[in-house]
This record gives sequence, structure tokens and C-alpha cells, in this order.
Amino acid sequence: MPIKTWELDQNFKTEILNEPGGEHLTACYQCSTCTLGCPISELIPSYNPRRFIQMSLLGMREQVLTSPDLWICAICQTCTARCPQNVVVGDVLSAIRRIAEKEAHAGKIKIESPRPLFETAFLHTLQKYGRLYDIGLAMEYYPKREGSKVKGMMAMMGDYKDFGMRMFMHGKMGPLGGGSPMKGMLPSKIKQRDVMVKIFKWIEEKEKEEK
Amino acid sequence: MSEKKIAYYPGCPSETTALEQDISTKAVFDKLGLEWVEVEDWNCCGAAEAEDPRLVYALNARNLAIAEKEKVPSIVTPCSICYYNLARTNNALKQDEKLRAELKALDPALDYNGSVTPKHILEFLMKDVGQEALKSKLTKQVKLKVAPYYGCYLGRPPETAFDDPDDPVLMDQLIALIGGETVPFSSVKTVCCGGPLMMTRADIAFEMARKILETAKKAGADCIALACPLCGMMLDAKQPDIEKALKLSFEMPVVYITQLLGLALGIEPSKLGFQKNVVSTKKILEKVG
Repeated sequence: MPIKTWELDQNFKTEILNEPGGEHLTACYQCSTCTLGCPISELIPSYNPRRFIQMSLLGMREQVLTSPDLWICAICQTCTARCPQNVVVGDVLSAIRRIAEKEAHAGKIKIESPRPLFETAFLHTLQKYGRLYDIGLAMEYYPKREGSKVKGMMAMMGDYKDFGMRMFMHGKMGPLGGGSPMKGMLPSKIKQRDVMVKIFKWIEEKEKEEK
Repeated sequence: MSEKKIAYYPGCPSETTALEQDISTKAVFDKLGLEWVEVEDWNCCGAAEAEDPRLVYALNARNLAIAEKEKVPSIVTPCSICYYNLARTNNALKQDEKLRAELKALDPALDYNGSVTPKHILEFLMKDVGQEALKSKLTKQVKLKVAPYYGCYLGRPPETAFDDPDDPVLMDQLIALIGGETVPFSSVKTVCCGGPLMMTRADIAFEMARKILETAKKAGADCIALACPLCGMMLDAKQPDIEKALKLSFEMPVVYITQLLGLALGIEPSKLGFQKNVVSTKKILEKVG
């Protein structure tokens, strides 16, 4: 792809360096060990962690932040483990994803992946209950992903009808197999939910400060 | 064997999708005569979805602080990602006095002084309890051909790893100890199962899981053994979905390593949750006898 130098953002690398996890970005010498060992690159040839780093160092901010490939990292840590320069590649990519989310929040870019919606729905259940609540997560995630409540419910049923029945029959959710008859159906709530609220508020304030 | 009490951190799937892992872990603790206490009112570790490390540190500081009050040397978890989050929080808080003070000021529940060591169940069993002590308690040979699946976070990242990143051995050793045989599995034993992508890119996740299931099948394994509830969800609970989507048949039993160890310790299969694994474990139980 041709690089338009007049569109480069020289500050992009500093932005990543300042993000927790992004501190080691500039140690990369482009050896590609990260990409050669990546199980996602093996399946999706366009997926290239090395290229994300190179583009970030060059300042190709918009291309990096709007790439749908940014959201298919499995966070398996193979790149991090193998990097000879201790770039902590997994954390660098995570830092870039967080910048993309902030930009999307501010309405400056559009993210072509449902992953931020999923992560947000996941974290919402922690914020509310202190523990993951699968059903609550799905009830928030699917309608947002599909753009409407009805479509969301249909997509959720498509993905989880058989799975839900399996969980029920094996006594992992619902009354079979002992424990609470409503296990998995209702959220498991911790007592100190106020601490969760404080933690999430603290993170929110940190992010505001950084702006 | 260490005589000291341990704190047990089950993690969210222990209450639902990985019930059999929770049941078998506790049964193994009891059979080994360990004194253990569940981290009271524990909260989620943030899993892979909390991408901001500061959020991970705050969430896990609370769990570590609760364990610290119990005056235990270690907090043991059967989940790989919970282990990673607990361990990196412990490292970060030990090194960063300012962060510790900040969390303490945020809420006293986050006041942690770094006295508890996070351990993954596999490391705890093999290194803390130790092979000799385990061996002395075994009453049964578990003569199965097992595909040892480690997945992520046990051998990497280096900051928190406790086994070899490319060729981990602790599960292989445990399987050999209980009388099992490991099948050739090194090509996939540390390759990600795809779990973190299941809800957003199921197509990629299914392909990743396929590779693992197919390798186990071709190697002639009776079952896959693993030590992470997300891997369990992907390889066991989603296996019928993967078979349907990719028009393949595996029928590969997937069990937690604590379930296999439990059998070798003479615990009844029903007390190890074998009826809760999605892919039937009947054949392997018959083979063990």
C-alpha cells in the first residue's frame, strides 16, 4: 500500500508509548517472529502483528485504528513470549485497541468489529455483579451487535439454543445436577459490589485524565 | 508436602460451565488432605476482556487481599487466565508502591501487601504438593491414552510462566504418574483453542479448536486433558457446534486434569463431575474400570 507521508501522524507512537502496556513499542526491529508464530496469521493471512507495529511507528494512525484485523487477536501471548526485543506485543496491540475504542467513543472513527461491544457487555456484568453473568452479557451484546432487540434475540438463539440445552441437560445451568435451581440463570452477585463500582469509576477517571 | 493452608480461587465458570472442574478440584484437595479455604466473596479476574492492565490490577488486588487476610502462602486457581491475571497483578503490586497506595486509598478492600503467591492448579499439584506425595496417595492406575492440552498462560508470557513455553511437561508428567500414556501432541499442545474469539469470530475460533480436536483424534487419544475452563468450554461444550459447523465428527471426550487425578486417587467418578462433561465420558470411565 502506498504511504502518504503528508497523512502520517508523528505523535501516534508517543500516544501508544503512553498507554499502559504500550511502553516497549519502539524496541521493535521488525524481525517478524511475532507474526511467524501467530496462530491467527496462519488462518487469516492479512493478520500481521509486525505490520501493525511498523505502521504505528511510521504514524499511520487512521489505518491502524480502523483495521478490522486489530480485533481478531486471541491474546494467546505467543508473540509476546517469542519476541527477542521484549516488545510485549500482545500488550502493545491491546493498547492500540484501547486507543481505537476511545476514538470510536468520541465519534472519530468507526470500528468494523463487534469485539468492543462484547468486551463492554462482559465488563458491565462485572461492574454490576462482581462476577461474569453469561446471560446478562449475551442480552446486552447480541442486540447491540445486530442493531435491534429482535434481531439480537434471534442471533442469540441461533448461537446458543443448542448450547443452552446442553448446559441445562448436564446440570450446569438450571435445576438439574444439584446446587441452586436457578444456577447460571440468575447473576451470581458478590456482597462488596460497591468496590466494583469504585474500581470502574477509578478507571474512567484515569482515562479522562489522559485526554 | 506443604502443611500450610491454601486459598482457593475458583473463577466465574466454576459456578456454571466448568462445574466439573470446580467439583473435581475440591475433591482432589480433600482427598490429598489439604486445608483449603475458598476466597470469600471473590470477584471476577477480568479475564481477557479487561484490556486495561490497571483494571486487572484493581480487580485482582481485592481477591489477593482477601487471601492475604487468611494468612495463606498461596492462592490456587484451576483457570489459566485467572492465574495469569492474579500472577501479573501480584508482580505489578509488589513492584509498584505508588499503585499499591492508590488502590488502598480507593478502597480498603484493595489493600494488598504482596504476601500471597498465585499458583495454577497444575503447578501447585506438581511442584508444591509434589510428585512423591501425589504418588503415595494413588490407589488406581488410569490407563488411558491422553492428549495433554496446555493452551495459553501456563508457559507464556514469560513474566508469569511456570512451564516451558514450547514444550511444557508438567501435565505429561502428571499423566504418566497416574498410569496414563500421552499421545504425540506437541504440535498443538500450546496452541490457543480460540476461546477468546468465540463470541466475536466463531469462524476463526472453530478452526483453531478443530486443529486441536483433530490432532487428538488422529493420535488415537481416548481423551484430551486440560486445565482451563475456557479451553473446556471451547473443546468440550462447543464440540457439537464445531462438528455441526464443519461437518466433522470427533466425539472426543475432554476432561479436566483434576478429574483424571481424582480417579487415580480413588474418588468416585460421580464425585468428580464426569456426568457433567458434554462429550460423553462413559467410554473412558469403562476403560479405567
